Amino acid sequence: MLNFVKWLCLALCLVIYAQAEPVAEFFGRQSSSHTNNWAVLVCASRYWFNYRHMANALGMYRTVKRLGIPDSNIILMLADDVACNPRNKFPGCVYSSSAKTLDLYGDNIEVDYRGYEVTVENFLRVLTGRVEPSVPRSKRLLTDDRSNVFIYMTGHGGNEFLKFQDSEEISAFDIADAVAQMWEKKRYNELFFMIDTCQANTMYSKFYSPNVLATGSSLIHENSYSHENDRDIGVAVIDSYTHYVLQFMEGINKTSQATMQDLFDTYDPEKINSHPGVRSDLFPRSLRDALVTDFFGGVAQAEVLLPPEGSGDAHFSTVRTTDDASEVGADDRSDITGDTAHDFDVTGGLDSRPFLAAIIDGHDTTLDRTARAWASSAIVLLLVGWIASRK
Amino acid sequence: MDGSGDLAFPALVAARLLLAFAPLPDALKYDQQLSSPLTSYSRLREGIYLFQHGIDPYSGGAFRHSPSLLSLFSTVLPLTPYTSPILWTAADAVAAWALVRIWRLRTGAKETSRDGQIAALYLLNPYIFLPSLALSTSSIESMLCLLAVMFACRGRASAALFALACLVQLSLPAVLLAAPIILLTVTRPVSRLALPQPYHAQWKRIIPLLAEFVGYTALLTFASTVVCGNWLWVEKTWGATLTLPDLTPNPGLWWYFFTEMFDHFRPFFLMVFSVHLLIYIAPLCIKFQHDFLYATFLLLGVQALFKPYPTLSDPGLFLSMFSIFPEIYPYLRHPIVTALIHLHASLLLPLFNSLWLRQGTGNANFFYASTLVFGMGNGAALMDAIWAGLRVAVGELKEGYEVAQE
Repeated sequence: MLNFVKWLCLALCLVIYAQAEPVAEFFGRQSSSHTNNWAVLVCASRYWFNYRHMANALGMYRTVKRLGIPDSNIILMLADDVACNPRNKFPGCVYSSSAKTLDLYGDNIEVDYRGYEVTVENFLRVLTGRVEPSVPRSKRLLTDDRSNVFIYMTGHGGNEFLKFQDSEEISAFDIADAVAQMWEKKRYNELFFMIDTCQANTMYSKFYSPNVLATGSSLIHENSYSHENDRDIGVAVIDSYTHYVLQFMEGINKTSQATMQDLFDTYDPEKINSHPGVRSDLFPRSLRDALVTDFFGGVAQAEVLLPPEGSGDAHFSTVRTTDDASEVGADDRSDITGDTAHDFDVTGGLDSRPFLAAIIDGHDTTLDRTARAWASSAIVLLLVGWIASRK
Repeated sequence: MDGSGDLAFPALVAARLLLAFAPLPDALKYDQQLSSPLTSYSRLREGIYLFQHGIDPYSGGAFRHSPSLLSLFSTVLPLTPYTSPILWTAADAVAAWALVRIWRLRTGAKETSRDGQIAALYLLNPYIFLPSLALSTSSIESMLCLLAVMFACRGRASAALFALACLVQLSLPAVLLAAPIILLTVTRPVSRLALPQPYHAQWKRIIPLLAEFVGYTALLTFASTVVCGNWLWVEKTWGATLTLPDLTPNPGLWWYFFTEMFDHFRPFFLMVFSVHLLIYIAPLCIKFQHDFLYATFLLLGVQALFKPYPTLSDPGLFLSMFSIFPEIYPYLRHPIVTALIHLHASLLLPLFNSLWLRQGTGNANFFYASTLVFGMGNGAALMDAIWAGLRVAVGELKEGYEVAQE
């Protein structure tokens, strides 16, 4: 009986899924409604031989920074410092390939939680926002309900757990609860969770709050492997899954229209040596609509204001953005139906008339102003003349 | 020398006009030594633009000029890249002419050999022509100040008080000069430093003059209110001098002090600094009651040193006015030290400003230190002037005698 119900549900799901695509296409492309981007990048393991986990996190850090998320919006947690480790043959440098062409450490990185500060408690406090009053702003996740949050975790993990610092572990339930708290507190618009550990897909299996997209590097009972060993550094320098994700990202820039579906389509279990997974059931939009830059980049969508009609003021010039993505976005906005439609006029920009009306004094016409200015000058000049004529 | 004196003045003005039209870098207009938030040309242009497009220029925090400037420059005297340099050079020329006339009235002669020298010392003083090239309205303030003093020397009370009232519209600290200028009007500007006499109080003549000054101020305030249509301008212009809302760096001594100020001490220290300016009026007028022109000169020095938003033209005016008091030159105790401190400060001010704000290798303390040196230079000049002005009365010393203050 139970079997039958299960198969019936599956059949229903298949039918619904088959309808989903034409339905989505019927309503047109849905762009994201976020206004700012945040990233939480966590490397949870310490010690020199976990160099690759640090390099994973730093590679993601460099990617999100390059695509536009500022340091103030990135929380980078590194459980150990391999760049300044006495065993590092290249002091101050962290490489993710044995070609050593790109130094991920550089001279302009901001590590928010370092060393022993990377704990399960701190991670959960950062996510939920329940931090001590003494915690500085750079260590807080100051997201709001229009923030898209990208969480990346890497380290040693297992079935529904991730090891922090070789001494404690966080479970998939903990993360799911933290994300649910974030949803309750309106701390994210959409959340993208990426994890590169052994049996990573189990870590996202417990999410239950809406607007979450998750991906992991390997199935249950499957290990994630490192990609490359370096002879000089002596340890593995990058993990396979992260390496191929970063390789895909190198082809992305701020104006890219590549979607999350494109990213997931590049998953090749042969090359990665494990089976990456995607969980998108909690994600409201189609993966073909979600741009990679919606999570990885800090791309701003600019509104183009038209000059106000009526007063014919040509000196309020419009600012045209040269960002291709935002121009496409502006066109797409005209497709949005729903209760936000009345805020936009026919050309797709915000109405600037109320704004101008607030600062321009309506009952003060040009004639009034010139009359007053001339009256004032006349008073002064008459006084001058009168005084000159005296004595 | 008399013939060259006739040619010197037009030649200087022509040279200044050429310099004003030279393709100078726009950076001068934004230099913080040459214009303050109350005198900056770019803010003036912005205020006029806002006014002409229906937005009240005083509703924001950028425009702090007097409404009379707003009305004059939007109606009678338009500001364009061609007329502005001419206007400012004309202001400087009028100021130099007024200074020469003050000198002539002081010596009692129709023409002297030093006229050209005095005009040159005003027009070629870098502290004066640089703000004028930057089109800072402090040049107009200097012009009005010298006109007021000149009319007072001539005894034309109405003109002097009107010029002073106009000056007070532009810059509130000029109210310091009201007392000595009124008193100068009723006395003669001729140098009496060497022969001091007590002032015979003629209060019957003073009170109507004071009332006239207040009347002119009220009329000009009314004219300013007519332009604006409301009273917001008072808080933004005169109020800025009293409450120091804008802490843009300038060569003065107030801004750094108030950047470091805790909020609950602010009103107290604003009161202290403002009253500090006022406490110099009575002592200087009493001590120099025999020569009110000198008292005006000293109060200009006090104003230059302790004003809330000075530019280089305020101490420039003070230093240029040294030229009309040659009788004190033998009694100046440390003129070379003062000159060297000024040289030092005038080189350090732009250097540290650039290091701090353009290159980023210095910080605000560097520039603050250079304003302190500049203040020391001005203070040294002021103290030397006070000393010399009193010392002249003692004259040559006989053997074994010493000068002591009672």
